[in-house]
Amino acid sequence: MNKKTPYILIMPIVLLGVLFIYGLVNGIIQSFGYIPAFDLRDFTLDYYVKVIKSPTFLDSLKLTLQISLISSILSAVLGTILTAALVYTGHTEGKALQIIKLAILIPHTIVALFSISILSQNGLLARLFYKLGLIDAQTDFPLLLYTKNNIGIILGYLWKEVPFVAYFSLSLMASINKTLGEAAENLGASRLKSFFYITLPLSMPAIGKAFLIILTFSFGAYDLPFLLGATVPKALPVQAHIEYIHPDLRHRPYAMAMNGLILLITWIMAGIYYLVTNSKKIKGDNHERS
Amino acid sequence: MKDLSSNRLLKIFLYLALFAILAPMVIIIFWAFANQWPWPNLLPTSYSLRGVKEIFAPYGKVFPILTSSITLSLTVALLSAIIAIMTARAIVFYDFWGKGILDFISMAPNLVPSTVFAMGIHVVFIKMSLANTPLGVIIVHLIYTLPYTINIMRNLTESIGKDMEQQAYVLGASPWKSFLYISFPLLLPGIIASITMAYILSFSQYFVTLLIGGGKVMTFSMIMVPFIAKGDRTLGSAYALVFVISTLLVFTIINTIMKRFQKRKEKYNWN
Repeated sequence: MNKKTPYILIMPIVLLGVLFIYGLVNGIIQSFGYIPAFDLRDFTLDYYVKVIKSPTFLDSLKLTLQISLISSILSAVLGTILTAALVYTGHTEGKALQIIKLAILIPHTIVALFSISILSQNGLLARLFYKLGLIDAQTDFPLLLYTKNNIGIILGYLWKEVPFVAYFSLSLMASINKTLGEAAENLGASRLKSFFYITLPLSMPAIGKAFLIILTFSFGAYDLPFLLGATVPKALPVQAHIEYIHPDLRHRPYAMAMNGLILLITWIMAGIYYLVTNSKKIKGDNHERS
Repeated sequence: MKDLSSNRLLKIFLYLALFAILAPMVIIIFWAFANQWPWPNLLPTSYSLRGVKEIFAPYGKVFPILTSSITLSLTVALLSAIIAIMTARAIVFYDFWGKGILDFISMAPNLVPSTVFAMGIHVVFIKMSLANTPLGVIIVHLIYTLPYTINIMRNLTESIGKDMEQQAYVLGASPWKSFLYISFPLLLPGIIASITMAYILSFSQYFVTLLIGGGKVMTFSMIMVPFIAKGDRTLGSAYALVFVISTLLVFTIINTIMKRFQKRKEKYNWN
């Protein structure tokens, strides 16, 4: 067919791609303090230095890392168990999967509402505890929302991401189990052994990718920490937005420097992921050769 | 024996997980229709249609916003699916200059949080007069749905291959016709998956719409979130219920239309 065809086909994605890069680069340039529209023309690292030195930022960073790491690790582990449960009990399609898809369809904003109606001090869980005689009053129930422990946010992410991990890695694990896993069992391996030595390691690419997606997502996400977070410290994206809408427009580069750091950390996470997965591949190759 | 017990544990885990997914939704339904639900009752003491009535009261303008929000997200979804089909075909079937870069860029939005990108592009959009317009919001939504839709369409395009379409072409059909009558019906499941995926991503967006739309472009999420932020459980739940039901309705309609499309194509093929 025509030589021009591929260039016609990629026209829209190239246009959007250029816009995407333009927006990204523009944000990064602003983070160095260059915003001619606001009469800021010095190219400097000052904003980054000031942001990194400020305790507000460090608290936010710690909090955001904590939320995203804890929720993502727990989601990956529980999601893997859920995937295994779906595969080994023969629920790889049908109603169970529909329910899991339903969780993927619900936005984080509505998940925040779930958290509020279940986990707040007059929420359903507190009521249940009261009826069971575990607590005597609303105030005896631990604060889970709008506080520094961020349990409400983490549980919210779990509700969303555990089904996501299961949905994401289900087809790979199901196909591996059907072929290699069952072969190992036929050859005499116990089901537990065949799972931990065959099915799980071979399913790792999908599980790892799902983990990276939820880790970077929850690190840069706004909705849940905005709706359920404490007043101080705030999650990084929420803090960055506060700086962004600061009435003094000369505050803008601080917001952009925070965004730059969010970006940098996101990329470091992705970099570590690729390093770890690639080094595993190399090790695996050696193993095959020897 | 050991296998049996581990299987039972997995079953218990599965049912617990499914319960944990469904329980909050049931609670939301109760809240949406609760009139009074005082502490420490586990069920509402009286029910009413206040929440639903308030949502669909003519002065609330919720219904027009819901329709325009659905239209906006459907536009994003259709564009995203079309661009994904085109990009997938280019990457899978052709060699061209810059293929590697394009491949990377089409997935890059996954590695840039949408908050970071939205704040970066905002000034650009103000200069281009795209800020506070539906078009601006559609463009940003589109950028963030494409990694997912391109991924779906790429895998499918790869597995279907080009052979059958090429045969139609060799037998004298135009390239466009051989795509429309051969590949398109085969791609249909992926197209449905792409459209639903992009739709839900766009319909759920809150921050990006708030920033780029500047409060001028109202979507359903934009009017729902303030009630959740206030902790208003009755109205928040009523909105959430409308959100879920409208989404499921849209999905059913997309599915029916696409299936009908497929049937009609089959009829043509037989004639």
